[in-house]
Amino acid sequence: MENLMTVKNLTKSFKENKVLNGISFDVRTGEVLCILGPNGAGKTTTINILTAALGSDGGEICFKGAKIGRHLRAYKQVLGIVPQDVALYDELSAERNLRFFASLYGLHGDVLTNAVNEALVFAGLDDRRHEKVKTFSGGMKRRLNIACAIAHHPELVIMDEPTVGIDPQSRNHILDSIKKLRDNGMTIIYTTHYMEEVETISSRIIIMDHGAIIAEGTKESLKEDIENEKRYIIQVEENGKIAAEQFYSIEGVKSVKINGDAIEITSLKGIENLDRIIGLLSDCGERILNITSEAASLEMVFLKLTGRKLRD
Amino acid sequence: MQEGIIVRRFLSIFKMDIINLFKNPVLIGYNTVLAALLILIMGFLCSGNYTNIKDAFQYYAVSLLVYGMLGGAITASNCFMERDIKRPNLRIIYSPVGSFPIYFSKILASFVFDYSLHILLMVILCPLLHVTLGGQPAFFILLMAPIEFVAAALGIFFCCIFHCEETTSMLLNTVRSLLCVLGGSFFSLDGMGSALAFASRLSPVKWLNDAFFALSCDNSLALFWPVFIGASVISALLVLGCRMLFRTEDYI
Repeated sequence: MENLMTVKNLTKSFKENKVLNGISFDVRTGEVLCILGPNGAGKTTTINILTAALGSDGGEICFKGAKIGRHLRAYKQVLGIVPQDVALYDELSAERNLRFFASLYGLHGDVLTNAVNEALVFAGLDDRRHEKVKTFSGGMKRRLNIACAIAHHPELVIMDEPTVGIDPQSRNHILDSIKKLRDNGMTIIYTTHYMEEVETISSRIIIMDHGAIIAEGTKESLKEDIENEKRYIIQVEENGKIAAEQFYSIEGVKSVKINGDAIEITSLKGIENLDRIIGLLSDCGERILNITSEAASLEMVFLKLTGRKLRD
Repeated sequence: MQEGIIVRRFLSIFKMDIINLFKNPVLIGYNTVLAALLILIMGFLCSGNYTNIKDAFQYYAVSLLVYGMLGGAITASNCFMERDIKRPNLRIIYSPVGSFPIYFSKILASFVFDYSLHILLMVILCPLLHVTLGGQPAFFILLMAPIEFVAAALGIFFCCIFHCEETTSMLLNTVRSLLCVLGGSFFSLDGMGSALAFASRLSPVKWLNDAFFALSCDNSLALFWPVFIGASVISALLVLGCRMLFRTEDYI
């Protein structure tokens, strides 16, 4: 796949607070690039700079090889943006919202009408096209929010956490829609802090934390490093009788994190040591309430890279 | 071809701004019902200070119309940065329309909205309260235009400075009330001693009141052109100021 967009050394500070520390990455034609990171990682700032709504302090963005600053209108013309907040006129109907936002991209006449009809079908709102947005559920608004961004058939769609605060049914509908867009050849940049979404739709993943990219690759390549690891989460009744260091004497244990009454142990996959871990806990007088085991996941990748969970 | 697309996009935004304003019952009520009630109440309560109630209504219809016109700044700031409107407006920033149509459309839409409602108000109140707009009402109506435009441009200009509708509205409302009290919108300060009369003459609202009273009561055009040209120049300067101060990142 060829590069559609290249981002080099992007920096941004708000007063003394450095939000982006020189991030660089490529966006390839036809892929779904997921930017994953906790709140405050710099995802939305990155998105705002990519949409040209916010200037950067340093670095450059090239779209199809040309700097976007020099061809801003042409760049914006092929861009579709789904902002984090629902950006719709509540007092107007779904169709009227779509007509207006698509017209800003120069669509008119039959082309506009067809684009609006297509977008309404895409959002599953064809039968409610004349109803005011204020009567819609949160999920319907989110779907229309996406439809408004793709009605003009952009080459690159940037979605900033488009599924925040919606029901699972609407979330699935949105994720299916994104897969459909990807299958139709649209390039998508998608930010989220939901691991499951990344697992479902991503072609490639960028993991951000504290304004920097800490990992980049496909989900398979990111999991490679931890493929030979497993994680136990042991819930005890009243922790305090055992220290993390005591577990390191057990063969295979790589890291231990004690979080209140939960003990998280990362161990090598091929070594069966659960009985020894349980034995150690019993010897120390700990009463075990629950044990769960996790296979390699992006959550584990993030934990390994940052030492904390994505939603900590 | 390119110009045609730019004009079409601008008209599309302008139309949406107008629709949003005319779908806002609070703003419509503020500019019509509330303004009419204020004129009726003030005219009725202060009628003892005038030869008859007709004169009281004449005074307050004109002076409170000026007060209402200056309130156009609040309409404009609402149209530009009110929370529920700001979010969908963000999509305009993302689109390839450029920044000028974004704020200029809000100025123009607020101007059209306030101007049309105030004309409607006068058309209804004049025969009802026996208020006269003078021998040449067209000049009265024409003079309203640059004042309405200044108010709208002022609202957007201050939004560009403060990036916040609430702060802009609060500040402009306070300044407007102060200048209107000084300018004699609620009661004339001319008969309250030389110091207050002098302070009153410093308020631009007093100049506006004088210009509209000269047109409506004396059929005099003496102040028409100075006010018309002065307001037009200020409007142009405010639009220029918006162009210099407006940054898309203040909107996100």
